Amino acid sequence: MIRLEHLTFTYGGASAPALQDVTLEIPAGAFVLLAGPSGAGKSTLLRCLNGLVPHFSGGTLRGRIAVFGHDPVVEGPSALSRVVGFVFQNPEAQFVLDRVEDEVAFALENLAVPPAEMRARVTEALDLVGLTPLRDRLLETLSGGEKQRVAIAAALALRPRVLVLDEPTSQLDPQSAEEVLEALVRLNRELGLTVVLAEHRLERVLPYATQMIYLPALAAPLLSGPPRQVLQHVPDVPPVVALGRALGWDPLPLTVAESRVADRLSLIAYRLSPVADRASLIACRRSRVAYRGSRIAYRLSRIACCGARVAYRASRIACRGSRVAYRVLLIACRRWERPDRRRERGRWERHSTLRNRRQATRDTRYAICDMRYAIRDTRYAIRDTRYAIGDPRLTIRGLCFRYDQTPVLRDVSLEVAAGELVVLMGRNGAGKTTLLECIVGLLRPQAGTIALDGEPLLGRETADICRRVGYLPQLPDDLLFADTVAEELAVTLRNHGLLDRPPIAPDELLARLGLAELASAYPRDLSVGQRQRVALGAVTVTAPSLLLLDEPTRGMDYAAKAELLRLLRSWQAEGTGVLLVTHDVELAAQAADRVVLLEEGRVCADGTPVQVLTASPGFAPQLSQLFPGRGWLSVEDVLRGWKTACR
Amino acid sequence: MPDARLWLLWALTALLAATAARNPLYLFLLLLVVLLVGVTTAPSGRRRAALLPLRFAALAIPFAAFFNGLTGHLGDTVLLRLPAWLPLLGGPVTLESLAYGAINGLALTAILGAFTALNQAVPVRELVRLTPRAFHEAGVVLAVALTLVPQTAQTVARIRQAQAVRGHRLRGLRDWLPIYLPLLVSGLERALALAEAMVARGYGAVSERAQPLPLRAVLVVGLLGLSGGWLGWLLAPAWAGVAGGVMVGGGVLLLGAVALAGRAARCTRYRPRCWGIRETLAVLGCGLALAAALAGQPSLVYSPYPRLSWPPFDPWVGLGLLGLLTPALVGETGSERR
Repeated sequence: MIRLEHLTFTYGGASAPALQDVTLEIPAGAFVLLAGPSGAGKSTLLRCLNGLVPHFSGGTLRGRIAVFGHDPVVEGPSALSRVVGFVFQNPEAQFVLDRVEDEVAFALENLAVPPAEMRARVTEALDLVGLTPLRDRLLETLSGGEKQRVAIAAALALRPRVLVLDEPTSQLDPQSAEEVLEALVRLNRELGLTVVLAEHRLERVLPYATQMIYLPALAAPLLSGPPRQVLQHVPDVPPVVALGRALGWDPLPLTVAESRVADRLSLIAYRLSPVADRASLIACRRSRVAYRGSRIAYRLSRIACCGARVAYRASRIACRGSRVAYRVLLIACRRWERPDRRRERGRWERHSTLRNRRQATRDTRYAICDMRYAIRDTRYAIRDTRYAIGDPRLTIRGLCFRYDQTPVLRDVSLEVAAGELVVLMGRNGAGKTTLLECIVGLLRPQAGTIALDGEPLLGRETADICRRVGYLPQLPDDLLFADTVAEELAVTLRNHGLLDRPPIAPDELLARLGLAELASAYPRDLSVGQRQRVALGAVTVTAPSLLLLDEPTRGMDYAAKAELLRLLRSWQAEGTGVLLVTHDVELAAQAADRVVLLEEGRVCADGTPVQVLTASPGFAPQLSQLFPGRGWLSVEDVLRGWKTACR
Repeated sequence: MPDARLWLLWALTALLAATAARNPLYLFLLLLVVLLVGVTTAPSGRRRAALLPLRFAALAIPFAAFFNGLTGHLGDTVLLRLPAWLPLLGGPVTLESLAYGAINGLALTAILGAFTALNQAVPVRELVRLTPRAFHEAGVVLAVALTLVPQTAQTVARIRQAQAVRGHRLRGLRDWLPIYLPLLVSGLERALALAEAMVARGYGAVSERAQPLPLRAVLVVGLLGLSGGWLGWLLAPAWAGVAGGVMVGGGVLLLGAVALAGRAARCTRYRPRCWGIRETLAVLGCGLALAAALAGQPSLVYSPYPRLSWPPFDPWVGLGLLGLLTPALVGETGSERR
């Protein structure tokens, strides 16, 4: 049993405690889900269980911890490793050696376990996580899920009584995450191992959890108990739970299967009446017609808006043209005037001629400048016209890419229209990141074409492309190196030579990103969600017309995701095309205008979220699993349809 | 998996033979042997890399011959004469000096061939595992560092790409700052994460115990003896014999202390090494080659001066050198059996 009594912990130099008066109990053999927003202290709490806090982190700890009769504070993390196995978020950051077997045996070698016993333990640990066939493989050749299972096996080799995992599936695709969770469930059910797991994506873990602990962000009290009971008080919950709460289902469903039972019971009444069913169908159709109507109205208003912009550009072109003509006329006048004056007057007039010549040069320069502006305005006008008539921002045709003869992208064709948010999904290694890197010129495809607003991008420099395409890589920390958040934006502007004439005022962008108050903060001190937004600011300060985001919601809590979604919506409304790579099916269901599914480098599905997500079992959101064939992806969809059906 | 100790013995024997021999026939034979061993024992897919010494030979042999020909000036067969006023180069260019340079190039190629074969057959981590148990911690640090090298290279590539998408271009030294800073910070973060993971996995739980006092005293006495003896040997030639004795005594004490510390170090090995018939055969092969290199000294040493002549060849010495072929003949020499 694990018992925490009045645990308060403050990191060295911090003004507020990371954990305050935490008291909880975890029975032996429990499968515990630890949830809560970013910065609530989940990782700190987990590290208290094996003594990494305070032994490794420093800080002040008050209260009492007992883990199966051991006191981590007294014994320290090394001694506790035999009782508590710890698995970190990123498996690669915890590997010491480079082969599966060696990695699992590493801890045993250091604890001087006899070789015969060591071999037995390694075999047992690999067997428990289903990795025996891969025991001789190099770690770099394994998939993300396999690497995480190696990390679990390495912890299991010490035969701990508790396995503590800090967001072990946050970096994995749904299938790999499922593999890891299945291994954990097997360990919990077959060996009676106590599992304590922190996770943001509750829907992944809720089906297996026997206990849930919720750590709120503020100094509110911690909630602990059966998941159904705790979820009643948690603000951000998975869609089926949110639906259950909205419809007052009792008991509250945690999984799609449980929801299905509740759904059946609730629907019996209206299912008995075919008239009601028919009515619901009509109402549903009506709502669909209304939705389509509103979309058409939106498109029309966008076209009108673009038309107005085109007209404005045309007037500016005309104005520039007239100014050019005026300058040319001036130059001609001065040239015509010059010889007469020289002939008629003396030295004083020669000076005046010189002045005229200088003015003529200046006028020529102005004329050239005006012509440049006119050309730029023409280009913008063409772009706006394209936008108005619905031309795609990004067009990819027949793209093929190979890494050393291994095809990664095979004949990929894709379009992203202005103001459209396209979600690109697929398993790890399907070629999603490769596709984004080809678009921004980091990789050179062997065949195919890529065009932005009709202009080909292939062969152009990455820096040149990225002035018009914002690309946010998977790890935002790779981008950040300046001393302040504001300086990060200035660096990008300086790189593109736009520091003195930024397309968007950096302060305005920071305010939009919700970072105005953090402009002078050190970027790496911020939370995951805030760092992600700083990185987003650093790539969007050039006002790109296309935005490429590679798994931007990794490690984000529900609130940070909602904030990101709000930002993307505002950019979309201004005509920015967005191509978003994610494994988060619920986010895709919520955000996408269109979903493209990549499989082994090929586009295997391209359509609306309803068409694609409901047709792919591996990528189906919870609500589409619950209501197959109805096209409901969000809780709002279901509630709307439900009300219509019950009317 | 080959036994790194046997491979080290093999490479050292080949190095000794290549250093001792200046007979082109033996050197050529040695080169063939190391190339053959390199090609047969390299993992599939890296066989071409085992032939790398041939490309080196194509450059090294002509260059060594040319350089020695221009600077040697010894030998009877004069091919041409360079003006005497040319410093270092002035004088006759002889066939013998060209041949001697080419022989040196051949010896260098054979040495490179031996180490290429070693490099192909034994992963660096296996060599690291040869660290004496007394230096177990240092061995782990080295192993971690080796794992970090490819990861750091990947991080550099990733950060370069991330900065490129912000319009960053690498033109001068100052432009490396946006690469260095995230690399440094991510390296520190990674090191902390790894240290945390190692502690959580029990690293240091049993080895925190300090060495016993007598052992530390022996270590200090050994070190003092070694350094004092060496200083005495340098500064007091009259007492060279005594100083030598003190130095040897200090060395023996030091080795003994390391061996005792190794025995006291509490760690075990997952892959214990087993000795089998193949290992014995490999050692015998190396011994045979070593014996040939030592016993066949008169025919191994060949000088093309003053006039180029056909080098001697003793079939027994040649056969002895063929002993180095054993790793290729016995297959996976010294497999570590579970």
